[in-house]
Amino acid sequence: MDLNYTPEDIAFRKQVRTWLEQNLPKKEIRTLEDRLAWHRKLYEAGYLGMGWPKEYGGGGARPMEQAIVSDELARANAPAPSNSLGIGIVGPTIVVHGTEAQKKRYLRKILTAEELWCQLYSEPNAGSDLAALKTSAVDQGDHFIVNGQKIWTSGGKIADWGLLLARTDTKVAKHKGITCFLMNMRQPGVDVRPLKQITGSSEFCEVFMTNARVEKSDQIGKLGEGWAIAQTTLGYERGGRALARITNYASHFSRLVGAAKRMRRHGKPLIEDPVVRQKLGRIWSEIEVERYQALRTLTLLERGEHPGAGGSLTKLSYSELEKRFMELALEILGPYGQLTEGAPEEFQLEVETAVAEQGSWAYAYLWSRAGTIYAGSSEIQKNVIGERILGLPKETRADRVGGKA
Amino acid sequence: MNFSFSDDQILLKNSVRAALDEQCKPAHVRAMFDDPKGYGDALWGEMAKLGWLGLPFAEEQGGAGLGLVELALVLEEMGRAAYPGPFFGTVVLGGLGLMLGGSDAQKDKWLSAIASGKARATAALVEEQLDWNPASTAATAEKSGSGWTLSGLKRFVPWAHVADVVLVPARSPEGVSLFLVDPKSAGVTLKPMVGIDLTTRWSEMRLDKAAVGADAILGAPGTAGPVVEALLRRAAVMASAEMLGAARRCLDMSVEYAKVREQFGQPIGSYQAIRHRCAEMLVEAENAHAAVYYAAWALTAGAEDAAIASSICKSYVNEAARKVCGDSIQVHGGIGFTWEYDLHLYFKRAKALEPLYGDAAYHRELLVRGQVLHYDNVGK
Repeated sequence: MDLNYTPEDIAFRKQVRTWLEQNLPKKEIRTLEDRLAWHRKLYEAGYLGMGWPKEYGGGGARPMEQAIVSDELARANAPAPSNSLGIGIVGPTIVVHGTEAQKKRYLRKILTAEELWCQLYSEPNAGSDLAALKTSAVDQGDHFIVNGQKIWTSGGKIADWGLLLARTDTKVAKHKGITCFLMNMRQPGVDVRPLKQITGSSEFCEVFMTNARVEKSDQIGKLGEGWAIAQTTLGYERGGRALARITNYASHFSRLVGAAKRMRRHGKPLIEDPVVRQKLGRIWSEIEVERYQALRTLTLLERGEHPGAGGSLTKLSYSELEKRFMELALEILGPYGQLTEGAPEEFQLEVETAVAEQGSWAYAYLWSRAGTIYAGSSEIQKNVIGERILGLPKETRADRVGGKA
Repeated sequence: MNFSFSDDQILLKNSVRAALDEQCKPAHVRAMFDDPKGYGDALWGEMAKLGWLGLPFAEEQGGAGLGLVELALVLEEMGRAAYPGPFFGTVVLGGLGLMLGGSDAQKDKWLSAIASGKARATAALVEEQLDWNPASTAATAEKSGSGWTLSGLKRFVPWAHVADVVLVPARSPEGVSLFLVDPKSAGVTLKPMVGIDLTTRWSEMRLDKAAVGADAILGAPGTAGPVVEALLRRAAVMASAEMLGAARRCLDMSVEYAKVREQFGQPIGSYQAIRHRCAEMLVEAENAHAAVYYAAWALTAGAEDAAIASSICKSYVNEAARKVCGDSIQVHGGIGFTWEYDLHLYFKRAKALEPLYGDAAYHRELLVRGQVLHYDNVGK
């Protein structure tokens, strides 16, 4: 056990930090063009797709180096690169499960953001029970015809391509009839409509597919393997973001302490209120414990091991913490915490978001509600932990009766 | 960066587990409830032989020269077994206290005797008002001839009734000082304090002009504050390791029970109400593991955030153990509330450690002062 960073890691961090000081965009990123330019700059510096194989434009870097880069980006409050799903999920899926031709065709353009990607998984009636999805892909000889509706498609509006789960066989158990495809979003049969969230913004979309076409050569893995492939892709990006997430929390936390120093209650600075101090101390310790856990995850990744179901522990833990943290923030900030406009600077959060002007505590607070729902709700994570880590018996479910599933 | 145990550390953990599984079964733990001393000599002798009693001490003092990560591994197993005996008092409170503040002569005398199993030690770190801040020390030390006389009241002194030496903070004209006191000497009265956890023995320790020699003081008079603070940090983290072990045991028992206990025609573990509770318990146990071993490493390595990590550890593990051990009784239902079922051994062991060496609120305040506000970085 040695929790010091190696001299190489420290030197690498310094190098990234220096690069960021010199290259961070000077003005606020407002357009997609600005964002793509920043994305390409990051890629040219070697800071995107770092863990991907070199022959497809990746960097072949260690997990720790990836974690350091995203951590430094968070520390500098740098704008996010575009194509996050392409880089976080689609690319790794193609790397692991794609054919040589697919790798050559798609990977580099994901990294350069020449092609932007989205993920077409959830459906209105297939959320936690994702395997119940109904979107169909029917074999037409040299291609498939796709019909159905997807929802919670992040970045759907700007995506050129989508990673699609669709049903190719209705006669077998639901998990076994799903196949994974790469679908061109720029075709007449695909209709993308923004979905307005409780934040008032529309990071997500609904996607309607009416006789949309998918080429045979764009099938990932074998027919019926889609569920298994989706299971492996869900946890791909969590490790690399592990440190960056904590750094984000830490910077929000220091903003919160700053605000608490300016406010008063019963004539005394709020920060001297023992109740407030206890609550701050508790959240700070929880954030630090997440940092320790991130170091454990990175240790595994560095050894070439995959956290597997352990990723569910991490996700459950940090997403629930984020809600508690944001609840505390709004409690301390009072009505300031709910402002989306007109907040004095000391009561602003200034987080980087896809929509720059909404970097408020209110926005972060509302977003914290999403973390325990997307990518497997907390309830689903607890099922996974219970069944796969603790070995508890599966529950009797209506869709398992008769031993079909 | 490597947050995992080495092969040697895993070997140590496994050998402690094997030895305690063999020699510290629940039947042994229960047998010690009514034992006048409260622990078994055979197991103590075995611990000396296995090198556990000198684990963190230097080799010249008969120790193994290992760090706090290794000591935490041993203590986690002791919590898991609800080991009844003066190990914590002797090796952590007495041993680490001497390592931190003792002279070479004091260390040579006591650490070798502890490592070989001949001597037991402890420390009297809290008084009637339960303020863990050493600045609150009210017991007094007066110069008397070449030595000192100590007066005052200490409470919740672990295993003092079997100790050969007790580290006692007392206020001399120069400030807080630390003394080595023989609890059997004149002027010292011990009175048992019996809590719900019968695997731990506490004493009230009354000092009434108890005389100690000139060689009984650790360091110069008035300089003990930082030593006691450093010892408290170590005690907090090592107590957390025991609590982690107790929590792990409670979780393991709950999961096993949930697999076999049937209600409504199915194992209760198949119901989400139970399964989700067990999953939450595992999250807390894993987070507690990270907090304990991070802090143990930080203290050993002298990391910049060692003090902070210690306070994070104790405040986090206090509440994690409270949840895990408490929920384990709930998962078990009625059987978990019976005396004959072993669950309460671990539940009570963790509970007994919760208020000691600073409770969660105490450590959170240290954390807020030291880190959150950058006031004074305590004992850095």
